[in-house]
Amino acid sequence: MNQSDGHFDEMTALLYLEEQLDAGRASEVRAHVGTCAACRELLHALETEGVWLREALSAEDESIPARMIAAPERGAAHWGWIAAFGLGAGGAYTLWSGFVEPWLTQASQAGFTQGNLLTMLFFTGAFWKGWDSMRSLTEFLAVATLGTVAMWLLRRHWQRFTAIAFVAGGLACALALPQPVAAADVERGNPSYTLAAGQEVKTDLIVTAERARIDGDVDGDLIVFCNTVSVSGHIKGDIIAFSQELRVSGPVDGNVRSFSQAFTLNSTVGKNLMSWAQAAELDEKARVGGTVTMGVTNLVLNGSVGGDLLALAHSAEINGSLGHDVTIRGDQLTIGSTAVIAGQTKFTGTHQPDVSASAKLGSPVQVTIPKRGPNYSGIRYYWHQVMFWGASFLLGLVILLLAPGFFFDTVQASKRIGAAVGFGALFLFATPIAAIIVCITIVGLSVGIPAILFYGVALYCAKIFVGAWLGEKLLGAGVGIGAAIGRLALGLAILRALSMVPYAGFWVSLLVVMWGLGAVVLSLHRRMGAPAAVAA
Amino acid sequence: MDRQKTTGKMSNADLAEVLSQVRAGDNDAWGELYRQYAPAIFRFCRRLLPAREDAEDATTEIFMKVRQKLGTYDSSRPFTAWLYKVASNHCWDTLRRRRIRQDLETGDLDTLPLEHPDPSQLERLQTEHTSKEVRGGLAQLPDRARMALVLRYFAEMSYDEIADTLGVRRAFVGVLLLRARHQLRDALSGSGDVSTQRASAGGAR
Repeated sequence: MNQSDGHFDEMTALLYLEEQLDAGRASEVRAHVGTCAACRELLHALETEGVWLREALSAEDESIPARMIAAPERGAAHWGWIAAFGLGAGGAYTLWSGFVEPWLTQASQAGFTQGNLLTMLFFTGAFWKGWDSMRSLTEFLAVATLGTVAMWLLRRHWQRFTAIAFVAGGLACALALPQPVAAADVERGNPSYTLAAGQEVKTDLIVTAERARIDGDVDGDLIVFCNTVSVSGHIKGDIIAFSQELRVSGPVDGNVRSFSQAFTLNSTVGKNLMSWAQAAELDEKARVGGTVTMGVTNLVLNGSVGGDLLALAHSAEINGSLGHDVTIRGDQLTIGSTAVIAGQTKFTGTHQPDVSASAKLGSPVQVTIPKRGPNYSGIRYYWHQVMFWGASFLLGLVILLLAPGFFFDTVQASKRIGAAVGFGALFLFATPIAAIIVCITIVGLSVGIPAILFYGVALYCAKIFVGAWLGEKLLGAGVGIGAAIGRLALGLAILRALSMVPYAGFWVSLLVVMWGLGAVVLSLHRRMGAPAAVAA
Repeated sequence: MDRQKTTGKMSNADLAEVLSQVRAGDNDAWGELYRQYAPAIFRFCRRLLPAREDAEDATTEIFMKVRQKLGTYDSSRPFTAWLYKVASNHCWDTLRRRRIRQDLETGDLDTLPLEHPDPSQLERLQTEHTSKEVRGGLAQLPDRARMALVLRYFAEMSYDEIADTLGVRRAFVGVLLLRARHQLRDALSGSGDVSTQRASAGGAR
């Protein structure tokens, strides 16, 4: 007896019922319940409870998901992975050799290095000396939020080292970004600022004013945010200018980067010049040691350039001398009689260039009059389409194999075409607006930036789910992961082919984006809103 | 205890034939095996994991493991026992990863004072609640308590198997089950705060 009242306790009764007592103890219980009504009643109640539990737990009164009908296939994805990685490698090579490398080469020729790009982008300390700390905090919050969301999404696969490596690698990359320089003399004009001739600034000079006049010398970079800027002093670093009008007539040892409505140069620039302007003029006295990169409406180049000229210009007029190649894309090109171009001249535009017979050119001007729209007769176009398909397919495979539940749910949600397209249209336009509004506040950046990132990812993923739906529609419901991969490949190929149709392709792509985005939203809503109850 | 109630109706001879075909790489046999057992494994996972989608994913992953590990299955033992063992290990790992052992380790029945049940009250509880409500109550239990009940009363596992799966001493399995029954009664009757009992619902190695 276990209890002072002479009865067995509940634990002993349960173990007796479950046949977990040794023979001697079981005999004791058996003998006792033969004479004790209370213990007999307890045993009966516990036994009934056991039966009740078994019946409740094994009841088959809930539906089995459709995808449970099909068996997952071991190794079925191997061929898909091999094909996808092959395509992915080809795509990466194409992107690198066709886009990234030429762009990097041009950027390098134009004197862009990571350091001065970051300086230009972040313009450290421009408005507030505490900006560094605030920016660091914001970056930290944004990265932390992004990391948290990534970990949440990958939580089911957290045991997989690839996921850990992915998140940790992303964080490391974010943290490894080089820190921009901080030392600078910050000046605010009220309304104008003047650095008088004979004066010298030993560090970087950052100016915000209505008008800025820099007649003195600057040892570091000059960064200006002004309506009109005039620079006649000696700038030993770079000039980075955001202004309506910029006139540089003093020597610059470094680079000049300008974002201006009107830009004029009539002095020496030691390195490179890059200008985005409505009108840009390099007069006869202008000398640029490196490359000139221009994005302008009207360009007049009367001075000399030691390196290449790369220009995107509505109209360009060249009367000066160029030490290397000229590459211009635009509408009109005029090469005057005094022009000297040592290298090749390439022009891509809608009109034949006007080239003076007296101009001294290293080689005849190569003219390309581009056709509008894609070049359907070129194999490169189709190669790119295959690569784009491969990239989508690869991402689809990753989603399918890492998160099959989400994949199949979203494909299922795609079947509600009206709701998916409706929600997709709403989120397609509302999400960026909401994210931008949220980003207005510093704290909101940590929400807004990840939201925009995920919005971009969702837009790209949209066609995957519609493609899988389309494949299933054409081939019927599949059996297992392998079948889903086949249907995904077919669906994506059809969508890619449809998007190549002139004019209609755009609308098809837009519809697919809305449809798929809506399906993603519906699927996420269902998963997030799912009750926590284990048994429904 | 009859595990076949919750799984397919395949006879032992048929099952042995199907298993040997699966081992030989026959996809049709694999499909047949899956069709027979997947619904039960899905229901098993459904009772253990928080959401239906989790159970779907878990079922898929369990069967992928089963196919990988089929070579290690000892055919002298019941297949369903082995299958539930794989499934329970997977679900328990999933729960542990998510909760990081919220349950505290307790090993002494003296720390778990249990009120002696009133048989008539127990009977009333059973007549008043549907199977669905029982499963709803089960969802409110701590992971280990829920695991114990499902392993015992759904998968029909022995005390040794339960102890092995949950990593507790065999002698403690009875304590776990009794405690879990009490918590389920409290959850269904609404008389007890199950969450406050979570701390005392664990087991000890």
